[in-house]
Amino acid sequence: MLLKSAYAPLLSSAQRLSLSTVTNSLTHQQCPQTVRQNVPVLLELPQLPPASAYVHLPFCRKRCHYCDFPIIALGSSSNHEHDPRISSYVDTLCREIRATKLPSSSFPPLETVFLGGGTPSLVPPLLVSSVLDALSAKFGLCGDAEISMEMDPGTFNAAAMKELMSLGVNRVSLGVQSFQAELLRSCGRAHGVDEIFEAVEIVKTCGVENWSVDLISSLPHQSPAMWEESLQLTVAAGPTHVSVYDLQVEQDTKFGVLYTPGEFPLPSENQSADFYKMASTMLGNAGYEHYEISSYCKSGYRCKHNSTYWKNKSFYAFGLGSASHIGGVRFSRPRRLKDYDNYVQDLENGAADTRSDGIVENKDLAMDVTMLSLRTSDGLDLRSFREAFGDSILVSILEVYRPYLDSGLVICLDEQRRNVAADEVVVSSSFNEKLAYLRLSDPDGFLLSNELIALAFGVISP
Amino acid sequence: MAAAIPELYPPKLVLSPKNLSRRSHAINLSSCSSYFSSAKPEFQLLRREYFSAGEFHVLHKLRRYSLKVCCRATGAGVQPKGAPPSPAEIESAIRAGKDRLLKVPSSNIRNFCIIAHIDHGKSTLADKLLQMTGTVETREMKEQFLDNMDLERERGITIKLQAARMRYVHNNEPYCLNLIDTPGHVDFSYEVSRSLAACEGALLVVDASQGVEAQTLANVYLALENNLEIIPVLNKIDLPGAEPERVCREIEEVVGLDCSDAIYCSAKEGLGITEILSAIVQKVPPPPDAAERPLRALIFDSYYDAYRGVIVYFRLIDGCIKRGDRILFMASGKDYYADEVGFLSPNQLQVDQLNAGEVGYLSASIRSVADARVGDTITHYSRKAEESLPGYKEVTPMVFCGLFPVDADQFHELRDALEKLQLNDSALKFEPETSSAMGFGFRCGFLGLLHMEIVQERLEREYNLSLITTAPSVVYRVTCTSGDIVDCSNPSLLPEAGNRRLIEEPYVKIEMLTPKDYIGALMELAQDRRGEFKEIKFITEIRASLLYELPLAEMVGDFFDQLKSRSKGYASMEYSFIGYRESDLIKLDIQINGEPVEPLSTIVHKDKAYAVGRALTQKLKELIPRQMFKVPIQACIGAKVIASEALSAIRKDVLAKCYGGDITRKKKLLRKQAEGKKRMKAIGKVDVPQEAFMAVLKLEKEVL
Repeated sequence: MLLKSAYAPLLSSAQRLSLSTVTNSLTHQQCPQTVRQNVPVLLELPQLPPASAYVHLPFCRKRCHYCDFPIIALGSSSNHEHDPRISSYVDTLCREIRATKLPSSSFPPLETVFLGGGTPSLVPPLLVSSVLDALSAKFGLCGDAEISMEMDPGTFNAAAMKELMSLGVNRVSLGVQSFQAELLRSCGRAHGVDEIFEAVEIVKTCGVENWSVDLISSLPHQSPAMWEESLQLTVAAGPTHVSVYDLQVEQDTKFGVLYTPGEFPLPSENQSADFYKMASTMLGNAGYEHYEISSYCKSGYRCKHNSTYWKNKSFYAFGLGSASHIGGVRFSRPRRLKDYDNYVQDLENGAADTRSDGIVENKDLAMDVTMLSLRTSDGLDLRSFREAFGDSILVSILEVYRPYLDSGLVICLDEQRRNVAADEVVVSSSFNEKLAYLRLSDPDGFLLSNELIALAFGVISP
Repeated sequence: MAAAIPELYPPKLVLSPKNLSRRSHAINLSSCSSYFSSAKPEFQLLRREYFSAGEFHVLHKLRRYSLKVCCRATGAGVQPKGAPPSPAEIESAIRAGKDRLLKVPSSNIRNFCIIAHIDHGKSTLADKLLQMTGTVETREMKEQFLDNMDLERERGITIKLQAARMRYVHNNEPYCLNLIDTPGHVDFSYEVSRSLAACEGALLVVDASQGVEAQTLANVYLALENNLEIIPVLNKIDLPGAEPERVCREIEEVVGLDCSDAIYCSAKEGLGITEILSAIVQKVPPPPDAAERPLRALIFDSYYDAYRGVIVYFRLIDGCIKRGDRILFMASGKDYYADEVGFLSPNQLQVDQLNAGEVGYLSASIRSVADARVGDTITHYSRKAEESLPGYKEVTPMVFCGLFPVDADQFHELRDALEKLQLNDSALKFEPETSSAMGFGFRCGFLGLLHMEIVQERLEREYNLSLITTAPSVVYRVTCTSGDIVDCSNPSLLPEAGNRRLIEEPYVKIEMLTPKDYIGALMELAQDRRGEFKEIKFITEIRASLLYELPLAEMVGDFFDQLKSRSKGYASMEYSFIGYRESDLIKLDIQINGEPVEPLSTIVHKDKAYAVGRALTQKLKELIPRQMFKVPIQACIGAKVIASEALSAIRKDVLAKCYGGDITRKKKLLRKQAEGKKRMKAIGKVDVPQEAFMAVLKLEKEVL
């Protein structure tokens, strides 16, 4: 029976306490309430115990030509129900979950779980269930937790969908990528256009309320007409969420070998920028909010799990190559299966060192906060930033953004999220108390986010 | 004819204004009147030739076998014995050499130097002379013995002059031979003229396989000007391609020297060395006996020794100097006690006394090089000479460039290093300069491009500095509307167009010697460089001399490289300053995003402005990374834009990818991007990488 309701962590907390030594330098967990209030929220947030978990399910039929994720290609046989590779991986994964040290004596139940991949929909629901059970048993799971799952067209049927829903999966991220058969083929996708419509139909008829269509822009040979068609068909399908990823040509991928960004058959930089703008306009007109560089949603359907990333909150991660963020420390698991197996073994023996990434300095924290929050339409909370990192660095960032405030790539907002004119932003080298948020404009600021964030980095770490 | 010479001499550049005719010319000058006009000690560009030094050593191995065949040369000239001297002969010579501390009468002193075109074997011959006279023990011997700077050995050239005293027994009579080794490159001709002033004779070494080159001439005229007895020596007669007779004729025709007594030698193989030594004894006149007169000694070099203070190299003209003497430097008026007196052989050897005609050194705990400047006259404090010797004119730098430390923290180190270098390189001039792009540095003046290169390399190598150099420029003379005349070598300091009446630029007379096949190519080159054709002459049937007058600014770029490449390496050149001429010059400014970029400004001829402007804007467009806005890059004359490029704005730089919360890689990329921005200089809103400046400066060197 599935555990949709939260386990009270207290049930076994006494036992857990004895197991978990104090693993991090956090002291405020044990401190009286009054002291904790003095810690700036941006400094405190990453130190709080996680309420989110990412689970990597790396199986795919084959590797797409653009993909550099840690995946395990199973081959194109249709039935993976009893593939021993999957069951043994899930077994290891559950062992990892069980062997994970708890971050502190008291911790909240999970509010979000994200089953990512790979193609998680290739994992039989029974095995998905065991993963969720393990998570729930270890950390507890909120009754209204957001449980997302990445699913590819052609890898699941209505029965599987229903089964997954009964396990608690309540958000589906559909890996559509493109609505053109030739593009799907040329980027090595394992499905065609028909499977896309079937999958949309299944998701809808099964009553998944919260679902997302994932698209990729700037694919090789992609024309503006094709991109427009994909966006139109997406809007017509009516998901609550759309993710638009801009193709990144990674080095050790097939695309990396074949293509150079900006050169035929990839769209030119200008065209690629136009694709981005087209998505912003069309999805905006269809009532989607562009709430993050690559994410759009209908009101109230932001992805809660991804929001933990952008708020620089902590999160667990389990599985091959996955990256966790606990107690302010980011840690990436081995990307190769054998290494990962050994890592889990070590973890069980108490030998694994998940803290090897070192102590996080305030400077690094400021960079993380900046780069993550500027990806979102909420933007950087200037007051929290100032509280955590001081006045002078904030004023310097605003100074360096001055020309871009003028040209409209960067926008300052007041408490009511009304625009503040560029010439009011920095007056006589001091912080204007009116300011509350700083964000990149949509789409022009978002389009140049790397450049703009790098400018802030230059200020933070001179 | 003699009367015509002074007119042609630009007053600023007579480096060795020794009065002519101490003795009357023994040489017939009639055939070389046209050359005489270019017989000034100035600048010459010979940059690449030293690279061939290494190749010679390989060739020599091959040559050994053809020795016997090559020695069949007949005709005029003194033939070497068929083989190198026997071991017994050498041994006796060496034994005699050991006694070089012994005094000889001043009539047995011979002061001489060796002059040659680069790579004609001057230093090798000097080595052999030292060896043959036992001055240097065989086990201590190394190639280019007198060139003790690393840079000299590596490049196979001589930069600083050196002196060595040798003892040679001729007809059972001991002689004291003072060899003063000189740099061959005319960039360093001030060094040459200084050593020539200390000699009575010169060996003119000419490569028997190559013949008279431009520099041979320059140095010969310098020697003639100093009234030196010149002994022609044909070197490298062991080479299969040696044509000593043809080269002899060439010397006679071109230089006008009587070559009937020319000595055929191979310094490499040790052939003809004894003959050379004998000829020095027989032909070079002894210094006049002036031991009884009040002391007068001409300082021809000095350097700073950390323990003993300034060490002064001098040639005694009159009188004698003893250890412990109280001496007076006539120009500076400073007096000191001579703690140590000695001669160079080539190491410093102390003696009690030096007499008139001898070359030596002294140390007197002199603290400042300024107290004992090169060219000053030393006399006795108690028995002063009435008149000082004619000194050397201060050399005027002709080529300028900015030197900036790559790391701004090295500014002070750079200044210290330049000051130290200046101690024994008085031709080096520098003053602080600030550039918005490069920060703090110095504008330095050099005698020529090789001098510039050598200084840069010494700074980098001996003082561990990494430097950025701007394009070399020349000194322009600007007449302002107010009537003031301003010398200007820095484009950013050029008076405003409205305040200028005219700009003059230095002109040089250039003589190119070339096989006739390349005449066309070289004329085209000179024409391209705004050269004014003066004369063409066939010095032999197959070799011609081309005479042009052209702006020095056109020479400081890649002219020499072009000369060499267009003539397949066969042409040589020599140039001399002939004065300032008005030119249609303008200041070309570069604007990036509407902001003028001072360090990229240049002064160019009006006719070339468009080409230079286009090349610069195009290069900058390549090198400046695109910004988040459109950036116009313009070349302007005053307010007029003459070339324009635009850097389009970056349209997209976004990482819109699902990365499952793994931000470390992305953060690394962004940090790298931020690092990249730090290495750039902000020109207004635009970040310009340092490399762009450097590449443009390099381009300027090529284009201008």
